[in-house]
Amino acid sequence: MKPTGKLLTAAAAALLALPGISSAQNIAREDTVIFDLDRTIRDPDNFNWMTDGTGIRRMHGAHQTMWEPLFILNYGTGDLDPWLATGYEGNADSTEFTISLRDGVTWSDGEDFDADDVVFSVNMALENEELSAREVATLRAQVAAVEKVDDLTVRLTLNAANPRFVVENFGVRIFGSFLIMPEHVWSRVDDPATFAFNPPIGTGPYELASAASNRAIWNRRDTWWGAETGFMDMPEPARVIFLESGGEESRAQLMATNQLDAAQNVSVGTFEAIRIQNPEVTAWHDGYPYAATDPCARQLEINTTVEPWDSANMRRAVNHIIDRGQIVNIAVEGATTPSRTMFVEYGSMTPFIDAVLKAGHGLSAKPDVAAGQALIEAEGWTRNGEYYEKDGETLSVAIHVNSASVEYTRTIDVVVENLQRAGIDARAVPVENSVFWGEVLPFGTYEMSYSWLSCGSVNEPWASMGRYTVADVVPVGERSPGFNNTARWDGHHAEAYSEIVDRMKGMALGDPAVPGMVAEAYGHLAAGMPFIPLVQSAKLLPLNTTYWEGWPSQEDYYNHPFHWWNSGHQIIHNLTRAN
Amino acid sequence: MTGRESSAPETSAPDADGDSARRVRRMRRFDNPWRNPKLIWGAGLLLGIVALGILGRLFWDADLVFTGAGTPRQAPAGFENLRGQAGSWSHPFGTDVSGKDILALLIVGAPNTLYVGVLASLIGMGVGIFLGFSAGFIGGRLDDAIRVGSDVMITIPPLLILVVAQASFGDIGLTAMAVLIAGFAWQSPTRLIRAQALSMRESGYVLMARLSGASTGHIMFREMLPNLVPYLFGSFIANVTTSIVTAVGLEVLGLGPQRVPTLGRVIYDAINSGALIQNLWWWWGIPTVLLAAMFIGLLLINLGLDEVSNPRLRRL
Repeated sequence: MKPTGKLLTAAAAALLALPGISSAQNIAREDTVIFDLDRTIRDPDNFNWMTDGTGIRRMHGAHQTMWEPLFILNYGTGDLDPWLATGYEGNADSTEFTISLRDGVTWSDGEDFDADDVVFSVNMALENEELSAREVATLRAQVAAVEKVDDLTVRLTLNAANPRFVVENFGVRIFGSFLIMPEHVWSRVDDPATFAFNPPIGTGPYELASAASNRAIWNRRDTWWGAETGFMDMPEPARVIFLESGGEESRAQLMATNQLDAAQNVSVGTFEAIRIQNPEVTAWHDGYPYAATDPCARQLEINTTVEPWDSANMRRAVNHIIDRGQIVNIAVEGATTPSRTMFVEYGSMTPFIDAVLKAGHGLSAKPDVAAGQALIEAEGWTRNGEYYEKDGETLSVAIHVNSASVEYTRTIDVVVENLQRAGIDARAVPVENSVFWGEVLPFGTYEMSYSWLSCGSVNEPWASMGRYTVADVVPVGERSPGFNNTARWDGHHAEAYSEIVDRMKGMALGDPAVPGMVAEAYGHLAAGMPFIPLVQSAKLLPLNTTYWEGWPSQEDYYNHPFHWWNSGHQIIHNLTRAN
Repeated sequence: MTGRESSAPETSAPDADGDSARRVRRMRRFDNPWRNPKLIWGAGLLLGIVALGILGRLFWDADLVFTGAGTPRQAPAGFENLRGQAGSWSHPFGTDVSGKDILALLIVGAPNTLYVGVLASLIGMGVGIFLGFSAGFIGGRLDDAIRVGSDVMITIPPLLILVVAQASFGDIGLTAMAVLIAGFAWQSPTRLIRAQALSMRESGYVLMARLSGASTGHIMFREMLPNLVPYLFGSFIANVTTSIVTAVGLEVLGLGPQRVPTLGRVIYDAINSGALIQNLWWWWGIPTVLLAAMFIGLLLINLGLDEVSNPRLRRL
């Protein structure tokens, strides 16, 4: 071969090796499944999920391949599918829960997984305030004590009645669950808050191969308790990669060229463009609008401690000015619907949504700018040219927005435009994903921001409503417990609201008094307006059937398609190699 | 072409072979170096962009730059988008995914981009002239300080610092952005002017002015500066080009002003929203062509000014 030929061959080989991170250990592309990650893995050597408020130390594959949950909530059936546990029982007033663990589960280093691990993990969460992940904070706030009944049974005693305790803490209802850590590793650690847990071990069928800031690679182990006990077959993918794609364009290009098997959210236009180039790409629905309903409806968060937004009237003015219909049409390209309340519009939420609407607290899809401006003027602001002014100061607002998705930035572009036209000098402040979740939101260092922090309710109202009670108010600069009430909403409406919501907390799921209480509490929420619900969330996740089949869809609804959640185990187990 | 071949055309004898009319024409061109075609074409291109900004606002609604101004993803008139919808004359250059009108974005954005470049360069040159003359003419400790300062600053990669600065300031205006860029636009002019001032300092007319008791400021800015005007102009234009490149670089990274349209911002939005895969070529293509025209205009002016300040380059 001529030298130029050699050079070209070498260059081609190098190019081929670039996307093929899989070249190590010779695992073929068709045995590898590549998931998309929408954020940078900050600190890729640290696997202590309990000190990470952003979720990245789990969603890069750790809690989809290595750490398994006790249960997984099935969105299709509403059942709690058992995983590491086999079942649970609560006492009559829902203050004590007994969880039965599965027999034969082992950690990847061969040690048994048993009640000692659960008791140890829960106690660690109770005793260490510095462990700040949302799931840890939630558990700490609810559990009074934990005890081992026998090797496969634990009993948890709660501070207050909570019929939803298991699904809320151990059921992967939204994104994650409280993950059990191996006692034989963590008990040797002096300070769990500074422990990096590297190399990490879990009970799942995969183990860490390597992690860097833009990707994490997980290889299938030779053995797994699930296959040995007959719980489930070994998953087919020999390797799972989570890769930071870096934005809509590269996400789409990677998908079109089969370098990605499951992508994060894209816009409708981009999805249609991908399909033209790669007909093997599917989504939740086969036709328009393709997207699956996400349980976290979108909202404008407001920091109620910052002037002039500390006034409820000013917040309500903004609510009147925002054009939800325009957000749906422009930002989400018609793929969703305007929110009418704070709740996700699942069928199981209908009684509560209807109660709120009947009480007259529903939100309008159309703006009423004049009503909004009247409220602003009543607060002493006068319009001088483009903007409102008071005492020589212009009425302005900076809206922090996570720059990870076009959906986020485009929605805020619409909101900024609405406010500008109404006389408020609004501007968007785009922030990197991990800064947004790690620094801006929990510490209240914003005026307004775009997020979904009332997310939680799927089939009952308390999980969402309970996030805005006065018990969770902390000063700006301190971390909001579990991202609850980051608005720092207090005052008489907030207190009246909290009182009703606290009473609701201990009531059974089907209690007929609940819808009425929801409507009453919602009256205070609508008057105080600590956040402004915008639109329902639709996630358009392109899924590639070139190498793998068995992705979740409306037709094959074994669970929702959110592959960065702790329920990702189900997706990986369900994948079969395409012919 | 004979003029170019001779080593010092300005002192050589006129071409004896040519007819008198041609000679006169050449001489006229020689007399007025400002009327060279490069300069005229370059200035024409830039003025065209400025005119687009000024006249465009008279004939086109500048408010169409905002989100929701039209139907998203419309192709330019005469073309179709991926869904097969034909473009219309209500948005002759099409719209982006948020319904912003591309023509309006160009009308507002192009002059904004130029403005940042010119302003940053003006500030940078102003500082550079002052420091360069002071260092070159006054000399001594002052010279040492200015020289070391500019030498140190020139080694710092501007984009790196500006990315950090802009990211920490968040959303900033065009003028603030220009001032930030100007912080990295004064070093080269300072060094160049210092070198020129050093060589001029000993020339006869400067010595004469000194002997006649003229003040330092008078000598620097009244005696020496006028001799450097064409040179400064060339340097200024080169500086504008660099500043625009820096500004567009920042904007394409999404670090420019958020709501004020600039060409770089339009390209950033296009890249960020998957314009390439969706084949929305008008969204990134037209601003890119306009940017290219702007840079070609600046380059031509620079070449033209070179001819003005360096007679050896003139085609006599």
